[in-house]
Amino acid sequence: MCLSQILGVDELAMSRSLGKNSAVLLEKIKESLDKLNEKMEVFIEIQKHERKQEFAVQDLPEALDVMTLLSLPDHLRKTAVTICKLGHATAEEVAEQTKRARAVESGYLNQLVLMGYLKKERKGRKAYFFVEGKEE
Amino acid sequence: MGRIIAIHSYKGGTGKTLLTVNLAASYARRGKKVCVLDLDFRAPSLQSIFKLEHSEYWLNDYLNGACDIKRVLIDYTTQCRCDGSMLVGLANPATEALRDMSAKDRKWEMRALGRLLSLKNTLLNDMELDYLLFDTSPGLQYSSINAIVSADVVLVVSTIDASDIEGTKRMTHELYDLFEKKTAILMNKVPIEFLSTSADRESVYKRFENTHTLPVLKVIPCFCDVLRAGGTKIFCRDETDHPFSKHVEEIAAKIEKF
Repeated sequence: MCLSQILGVDELAMSRSLGKNSAVLLEKIKESLDKLNEKMEVFIEIQKHERKQEFAVQDLPEALDVMTLLSLPDHLRKTAVTICKLGHATAEEVAEQTKRARAVESGYLNQLVLMGYLKKERKGRKAYFFVEGKEE
Repeated sequence: MGRIIAIHSYKGGTGKTLLTVNLAASYARRGKKVCVLDLDFRAPSLQSIFKLEHSEYWLNDYLNGACDIKRVLIDYTTQCRCDGSMLVGLANPATEALRDMSAKDRKWEMRALGRLLSLKNTLLNDMELDYLLFDTSPGLQYSSINAIVSADVVLVVSTIDASDIEGTKRMTHELYDLFEKKTAILMNKVPIEFLSTSADRESVYKRFENTHTLPVLKVIPCFCDVLRAGGTKIFCRDETDHPFSKHVEEIAAKIEKF
């Protein structure tokens, strides 16, 4: 598949853009790659947890309380505590706090979603993560 | 922006509450805006120390989502006789309330954590307080871990009791380190003969720092006057020249730079 197909623009428009406004096109490529990256991370996490899923469904964690936070591995605890502090946040906002890469946080957040501790919702192009039941 | 300080210990009776109250009084006398919250729901004690009558709402109600934090806070500025201001939030000492708090489930504790975390916004940002102090339950309790997670700085009070030191060391590795908190040790009730010369004092600091692998902010001697007062006196307000008050003032100054 060529680049124009991936980006959903016709080749003529692409060549025009390349000539006139390559910065815009590069920005589009970056955005598309980011999206692709995020989807890939989810696939990887799903594969990693395929076996654990059955167990998770039977024994769904009720809450992301402090004792649960203590039991999480260090890398996930940092992400989970940050979400507790921020409430509703994107991977980018979490990454700003933890000083880790956005893609890394995106992976950890999706892992916490799969483990049943976080919920994820999409608003437009952005994915927000949050602790369910915190506001009840 | 202001800071949240949680005062915690492994064992009970280490002097957490006395140090919390005096630290708050010391900051208020320096012109700071402070607030002290009693998060020891198993054995509330701030009401008795501050000799306060009754508040319309307790901290229990705030954590239950039944009221705003402002409805809980009592203005103690006049009684504190300070240049700054002091607010106090009390825990309900009624037996029924203690029973109710000990029977909370994990979901409630999770929401309580959310409410404690939101105090940073309401008290430090909106009300522009300089310090928010949490007096906590000793050991690994839900309420104390919630307080630790919400705090910026954790002060751990320990005595020289061997089980206290061992427990504090364990909590350092299994609690404070895990939440990556700025943590410091306050050694309290240390026999005065351990600290008679400056060389003695230096070796005591080194010994405790090596044991705890954390900075030792202060080694406070055991003062008979403090024991004699039986928790009825706020030294940093009532006896500002007392050596205990001087020690607390030094801790307050060290925390500002910590």
